[in-house]
Amino acid sequence: MKKLLSTIALFTLAACNPATPPDRYDVSKMDLKPAPAKVTAERHKGAFAEGAALSFGAELKALDPSPVKTVRLDTTHKIIEIAPGVKFTAWTFGDTVPGPTVRARVGDKVRFVMTNRSDEAAPGVQLMAAPMMHSMDFHAAMVSPQDKYRSIAPGQTIEFEFTLNYPGIFMYHCGTPMILEHIASGMYGAVVVDPREGYPTKADREYVVVQSEFYVKPDPQKRKVDGAPLYVLDTDRLRAAQPTHTVFNGTHNGMVKTPLAAKPGERVRMFVLNVGPSRTSSFHVVGTIFDRVWMEGNPDNQLRGMQTVLLGSSNSATVEYLIPEEGSYIMVDHHFANASQGAIGLVSTAAKPPAKDLEHHNLQASATPTDPDAVAGKLAFESKCLACHTVGEGRKLGPDVAGVTKRRDQAWLARWLKEPEKMLQTDATAKAMLKEYNNIPMPNQSLTDAEVRQYLKYFQWIDSQPAGAAKAQGGH
Amino acid sequence: MTRSLVLALAFLAAEAAACGYCVEDKIASTYDHAVVTRALAQGHHVVFFHIEGSPGARRELERAASSLPGVDRDSVRLSLPTLTLSVAFDPRRVSLVELNTRLDRKLVARKLSFMPFRIMEEPADLKAVKR
Repeated sequence: MKKLLSTIALFTLAACNPATPPDRYDVSKMDLKPAPAKVTAERHKGAFAEGAALSFGAELKALDPSPVKTVRLDTTHKIIEIAPGVKFTAWTFGDTVPGPTVRARVGDKVRFVMTNRSDEAAPGVQLMAAPMMHSMDFHAAMVSPQDKYRSIAPGQTIEFEFTLNYPGIFMYHCGTPMILEHIASGMYGAVVVDPREGYPTKADREYVVVQSEFYVKPDPQKRKVDGAPLYVLDTDRLRAAQPTHTVFNGTHNGMVKTPLAAKPGERVRMFVLNVGPSRTSSFHVVGTIFDRVWMEGNPDNQLRGMQTVLLGSSNSATVEYLIPEEGSYIMVDHHFANASQGAIGLVSTAAKPPAKDLEHHNLQASATPTDPDAVAGKLAFESKCLACHTVGEGRKLGPDVAGVTKRRDQAWLARWLKEPEKMLQTDATAKAMLKEYNNIPMPNQSLTDAEVRQYLKYFQWIDSQPAGAAKAQGGH
Repeated sequence: MTRSLVLALAFLAAEAAACGYCVEDKIASTYDHAVVTRALAQGHHVVFFHIEGSPGARRELERAASSLPGVDRDSVRLSLPTLTLSVAFDPRRVSLVELNTRLDRKLVARKLSFMPFRIMEEPADLKAVKR
């Protein structure tokens, strides 16, 4: 009896303990009554994206202290370059893919406005998809979808507001049917919501990484943009969840070309969102261990000492890690089929500060092939071969491929790519090359005939360029 | 009266259905900017109907709607998954009420009826249809 009374007393004391922290998720303190959305026929004619809370590119701006974040993200249709030579008819928020990142804090109000400007022609480009209805679905908001997320016609503007009740990294996307096509065409982005009291750690660098898939095919009408073939959405691949490109921040191997900067000893905080729309991501950074992982970006969902974080479509995580020493640390989707499609990036101690304008859209690529087979060969080469080969930069573990179509004939190259192990047993040239390159054999990549043809087309294109003009991008 | 009430209730039920099937999403499923732009430039209107019933062949519905007097040629757009039909029409030749009555009459044998829910009379202005 005495023991029972002591237990009750202990529980009572615990319940009355004034040090008990308040419930961060007390629904009675959440704003769940936002004002109704307003739709008008007013067309905004200024910038496509506006607001102090917006960040463009991977580098995340510090939190804007204002408790009300006014955000404009207009919808546009435009041509973007998702990989060298792959110019795709995209649909956007804020005229970029992914859309700009919105950063705010729990308790902040987001005052959102969007004009559907899908009917506006981009300068010099007449090949966009037909104007259509679009909408905005913020996963960070708790609102009626029928009111706030309604679709608006070209020329219409919608305004609504909501309060951020939970910390995290939340997806935003167009929710107009067919949603799959709207997302796969580029209509997505991230909202980073800081905890009301801030993060429990201090980071030296903050970056946003948005993983997504593209499903493209050469335009059946064979239209061109600046001399390069136009690519359009491949709806068959889209429904079968067979992407042609899986990328970080909208571009194939984009952050290999422009690595993110960090110094030895620094703590990097990375806000990672997997948009999908259909694949999972197994996010990993080679050479580090995630000291902390906050699933969905909420520090209450903490894991320690993780090597990889698994993210389904629209899942997110904040990962924090230390940069131990000088080097290039490779961000990768450890589903290597995805990585080989472009989901690779670098965090490098040698990186220069990012350029002010990371906008990559509507830019003419530097020397790059236009034949779709050669483009496919280039992408495959940059994903799989740069560990051992260069293009015009001398020998590595294997030979420089510049000039290879002049040194060897097509039939020999085709056989070499298809079955190098057999060639090494029977072919004198192959045997001599093995000896010259320290007995490191060329691995069999199990290429199909079509893939061999693509590689050869790419090698022919390299050798048709002025010396030194063709360069490979990426590799680690 | 009873028929209108049943239709309204049925439509509200459809409106409250899963993501992608609210009013604006139904509009989006048949919205064709080229049709809208062409119609409004001529002073014509574009109306969006909810289809009540189980439409069978797409061709039959499209043909029936296109053949009505006052309906613009090649302006009929149909979405079977969202049960939505839109047409552009000349309000000087046919009123919306007449158009609706004729469409209902034409497809009554198929047990289909049509309930207009939004109309565009001006660019970027989707008005609710008053009944």
